[in-house]
Amino acid sequence: MLNKTNMTKLRVAILGSGNIGTDLLIKIQRSEFLECVLFIGRNLSSPGMAKAIAMGVKVSDESIKAIEKDPDAIDLVFDATSAKDAAHHWSILEKLGKIVVDMTPAKLGGLCIPAVNLAEAVKQQNVNMITCGGQASIPMAYVIGKTQKNVDYIEVVSSIASRSAGPATRLNLDEYVDTTEMGLMYFSKAKKTKAILNLNPADPCIDMQTTIFAQVENPDMEELTKEVNIMVEAIRKYVPGYSLLVSPIYENGRIVIMVKAQGLGDYLPKYAGNLDIINCAAIAVAEEYSKVQNNSN
Amino acid sequence: MMTEALKNFTFEDCKRSCMHPDSFSSLNDQSILVTGGTGFMGKWIAEMVSYVNETANFNIKLYLLGRDIAKFKVEVSHLAQKSFITLIEQDVRNVRDLPTDINYIIHAAGSPDHRDHVSQPLRTIETFYKGTQSVLDAATRLPDLKRIVHISSHQIYGTNGLESPIGENFIGKLEPNSLSNTYAESKRISETLCSAYRNQFKLPIVVLRPFAFIGPYQDLEKPWAINNFIRDGILGGPIRILGNGSTVRSYLYGSDMSYWILKALVNGGVGENYNLGSSEAISLVDLAKKISSQINNSIEIVSKSSKESYTYLSRLVPDTSKIVKSLEVNETSALDDSISRTIIWNQLNKKVIKK
Amino acid sequence: MIKQILISDPTLRDGNHAVAHQLSAKQIAIYAEAADKAGVPIVEVGHGNGLGASSMQVGLSLEDDVTMLETARKHLSKSKLGIHVIPGFATIKRDLIKALDIGVDVVRVASHCTEADITQRHLGFVRERGKEAYGVLMMTHMASASTLVEEAQKMELYGAEGIIIMDSAGAYLPSDVEEKITALVNNLKVPVGFHAHNNLGMAIANSITAVESGAKILDGTARGFGAGAGNAQLEVLVAVLEKMGYITGIDFYGMLDASDIAEREIMPQIPVIKSESIVSGLSGVFSGFAKHVTRISKEYDVDQRDVYRELGKRKVVGGQEDIIIEVVMDLIRNRK
Repeated sequence: MLNKTNMTKLRVAILGSGNIGTDLLIKIQRSEFLECVLFIGRNLSSPGMAKAIAMGVKVSDESIKAIEKDPDAIDLVFDATSAKDAAHHWSILEKLGKIVVDMTPAKLGGLCIPAVNLAEAVKQQNVNMITCGGQASIPMAYVIGKTQKNVDYIEVVSSIASRSAGPATRLNLDEYVDTTEMGLMYFSKAKKTKAILNLNPADPCIDMQTTIFAQVENPDMEELTKEVNIMVEAIRKYVPGYSLLVSPIYENGRIVIMVKAQGLGDYLPKYAGNLDIINCAAIAVAEEYSKVQNNSN
Repeated sequence: MMTEALKNFTFEDCKRSCMHPDSFSSLNDQSILVTGGTGFMGKWIAEMVSYVNETANFNIKLYLLGRDIAKFKVEVSHLAQKSFITLIEQDVRNVRDLPTDINYIIHAAGSPDHRDHVSQPLRTIETFYKGTQSVLDAATRLPDLKRIVHISSHQIYGTNGLESPIGENFIGKLEPNSLSNTYAESKRISETLCSAYRNQFKLPIVVLRPFAFIGPYQDLEKPWAINNFIRDGILGGPIRILGNGSTVRSYLYGSDMSYWILKALVNGGVGENYNLGSSEAISLVDLAKKISSQINNSIEIVSKSSKESYTYLSRLVPDTSKIVKSLEVNETSALDDSISRTIIWNQLNKKVIKK
Repeated sequence: MIKQILISDPTLRDGNHAVAHQLSAKQIAIYAEAADKAGVPIVEVGHGNGLGASSMQVGLSLEDDVTMLETARKHLSKSKLGIHVIPGFATIKRDLIKALDIGVDVVRVASHCTEADITQRHLGFVRERGKEAYGVLMMTHMASASTLVEEAQKMELYGAEGIIIMDSAGAYLPSDVEEKITALVNNLKVPVGFHAHNNLGMAIANSITAVESGAKILDGTARGFGAGAGNAQLEVLVAVLEKMGYITGIDFYGMLDASDIAEREIMPQIPVIKSESIVSGLSGVFSGFAKHVTRISKEYDVDQRDVYRELGKRKVVGGQEDIIIEVVMDLIRNRK
């Protein structure tokens, strides 16, 4: 058991002052295990930077150089930039011995779904958070893989509010699809996987919704439903807005499960569940590092 | 990888364009900052300064400020390793303090690529508005600043009706409540910022309004007719003329462009605007024919257009008499030569891979 | 003045919706050959939702993309081979490179009508490879003319050589077509096209209104074979266009023969405007949903007209077929 009074908070830096980085910052302020010691971007006048300054958090506009200047001040870095930049950052941070929680689809470290492999993931120095759609769907794919024999095929479809998809997301749909499919394959052990993303411009904005399909012969729906319910509860511990929209059904020769992720409404409105879910998962990972370190001290 | 052949290629271009290396004597032992220093203009300015340093035995220092230094080092390794060049990786929106030995600034930051403008309109506005303000603010605190050249755009002229060529005093219309005018309006406010800094802080600013360019370092994927015509031609065609084939443009070669910019830095009048471009007008149809005849006469040319006839003819050709006369510059490359050198350079550089 | 209309024929793509994406290689070969013989300029082939779209979400296709495209390629000599590509379904690395290597000539990159930004990379890639690239805006009844202009202008800048607007739900009346096509023609440099669906019996009338408003590209399919109530019936379209003095380059008898062959060889039933198709059109629901709505409604014993109305209310877009299940579950829950 951790004794909270003796606990040392893990000192984290956030690289990237966009929506993901800023929302992470707000979530970290609530954490008992983490302390954001540096918020790093490239542009001091960005809204994220302004928010951080207003919150009294130390900021820098020097990108990775801010960490190189004083590496001892930081234990863990959230990289919320781009896949390309993350690769460059990692080449530096690895040598500095920093833990990296990678929010980009750079796929440099081990893939992590906290509800599935948290303890294993934090044994590595770089943990990749896959994609928002992956965080929503892979736990279900994992349960299907765990409870069913011979999963030939798993497919996930995510629909997100158009307003929650920024320019980088729009330009990089291919990377989203690739990375999500890779994550699905890794966790479900299905022979083949597919990921699809839809942007929906409806007003009012839709919540992030994800459907998981699986091709399984003679499915064990009872066992599946039981495990899905357990998994949903496990996810809700770190993503409070996660819920089951349609319990597992077997329809037209396929298993169908639908989940919804509503955001906490920290930095962005609640409909941006896609940003929220990947951030909640990343925080869970960082907190686990903190717990492990405190336990070993 | 930059081969010897490619290095000599751009050196020859500079030699042709730089008619009077000695006219840059006032830049000797001076430092020039180029924002957007890793782009098309930055590369050509680096080429030209390199040529002048070498041939006139000057010591002109260059600071190139850009967002992606690593890419620059790969693309133009022969420039990146020059000792007179210092690379600064920074977002122009975020410039605060500049090296105090800077005497001259060429503010060329911001992409002219319209795809970026419509996909990332807010970043476009920020880059030109905040970026210009950041640079000019920092410039007010430089102890020995002699001249700033602000790179504007011909787009500030708005729609030009039948006015052609366009003189510096022409003022066209622009609809501000329009996504497609993001770039033009941002460039307009940047010029207004220049006039405010010139008046309030006495900054010695010269404004250049570039038109279209061609030559090495022009990315053929950029969404401009001549770039795409050359790419389609190298790919074996067809060359597609999209929209009104009677549209008229002109293209200044890269090395001429950089010579003219440096001349403006030395001799440009503070508070003056100069067009920067070629006066050799050509319609898109004729341009496509020229390119196809230079690559291979059998290349097909197709026209695709929303309308049969147009009530409005876009003619973006600068009246260059002001810059030619007052800065003593000349076009040293006729369009035919500009095109052929661009094609050869791209083929040498394997920029377009025929599949 | 010669009024040339470019016809693109998606019988083997949109028609795949009508048979739950079960067109066989043999059927593709037969129709491709007939269309080629008739001189159809572009023959579009693939899964109903295009390249890389075979999925449980929208339906698994009988043949994979490679088989469909290779088969069609083999049987097309004069006609160009076209594909429909929706980013989010198809990726460049996994799907598009392969398709271009097989010999696809024309790539139509599509997005929902307000999301053109997602087409930038795909359009750019096609142009870089020297192929013909078009931009397609889908479900365009959901956006105003001025929004369509803005989105279409983006695609034009990304490299599209023409912009096709789709009435994916078959919801347009001729006056809607006139308003939107006119706005696009006035504000774009590149040719404008129209893709009709026939839910309200307007497919031919709307297509003609489109060309009269300045469109230069039309989509039509043999017997109207396509999603939901089907598309504009191509052999009728060719006849009417000819009668009006337009040139399509298609041999009329050849087209009649091709559609007879199509009826015999690839259609289990000729498209007809079913009762539910009318409700679908009025509700503005993506035509590709029809098969799914019918099947799931039957399975759970709900009135599919209610399902369409609810889907319309929720403003679902193409690709959101999973929502049909949720809507059906909701209807059952509310009934209890």
